[in-house]
Amino acid sequence: MTARENAVLRARAMIVIGLVAIVVAVAWSARPHAETPAERVDRITSGLRCVVCQGLSVKDSPAESARQMRDLVVQRVAEGRSDREIVDEFRASYGDWVVLEPPLLSWSALVWLVPVAALLVGGAVAWRGMRTPPPQPPEAPPADVAALRERVAREEALDLPSTETP
Amino acid sequence: MPRWLRLVIVAGIAALVVVLALSFRRDPRDLRTGTVGKPAAAFALQRLDGSGELKLEPGGSKIVVLNFFASWCIPCKQENPTLVRVYERYRGSDVEFIGVLYQDSPDAGLKYVRDNGVTWPTVNDDQGRVAFSYGVFGIPETYFIGPDGVIAGRHIGPIDETTLVNGIEALRAKVRK
Repeated sequence: MTARENAVLRARAMIVIGLVAIVVAVAWSARPHAETPAERVDRITSGLRCVVCQGLSVKDSPAESARQMRDLVVQRVAEGRSDREIVDEFRASYGDWVVLEPPLLSWSALVWLVPVAALLVGGAVAWRGMRTPPPQPPEAPPADVAALRERVAREEALDLPSTETP
Repeated sequence: MPRWLRLVIVAGIAALVVVLALSFRRDPRDLRTGTVGKPAAAFALQRLDGSGELKLEPGGSKIVVLNFFASWCIPCKQENPTLVRVYERYRGSDVEFIGVLYQDSPDAGLKYVRDNGVTWPTVNDDQGRVAFSYGVFGIPETYFIGPDGVIAGRHIGPIDETTLVNGIEALRAKVRK
């Protein structure tokens, strides 16, 4: 094996090692792991609506109310409450509105269902449209066809440009 | 266009009109979501004047008007003369007023109370927990709690005398029945 072939082999080995390292790092970072309390607080507060903001989550809002809501979540997590219990505490005071993702088992489920229903109806209309052949133009009566042929023949005989009569 | 598709479109527009009509009929100051119609949360908070703790245990035979306020809140100042007048009218009766300081320092709250003639009990909700338990969106907010301990109504924004008196009298009439 020549020195050049050795160098190529080493370079390939380095590339393979690099790729394997990247795959291992990605897999390691994405591995399922036990959620820390801080991560749990972040997850819960990112699903709660800040009550004084315009569409911001508690996690993302700098408002004082959001800070106090976050503090309450931190305390409830430390007390060992479940996610559901924590969210339900806010829902009891503010209704489903306080949850950024509306629950499926209430009136707010319409938010999820209406787009799906609209998509299904639209799909059905499109499917029907594709299956139905385009309407054919009605056939001209034989008398009209004969008159037209006669006129074309006459104009060809006279070598006149074709004109349209109203 | 097929007949069934026309029907779907008409039904959709009709549903939209109904939803909008119902939404426009609702008073934005009278949100029904959350705590209205449910038992009021009990609490124990420090009084602003430093005279100890005030405990509210709803259902104690009195009508309670719970008002959330802060010294930095301009609409709270606007509604304050109304609260003072109506409080004087019901002083010593079966109606109890409680002011809850919201997102404010106790010193600023106490100064506000003294400067604006607030003589009913006022407490400091320093962590906002009581406000959350009542479903407060923003101040001023006023809650009407019946003698049965249930929140009968809430008013968002500065309250006027008619609304305040009507809220109290509606509860008193319910008690008399």
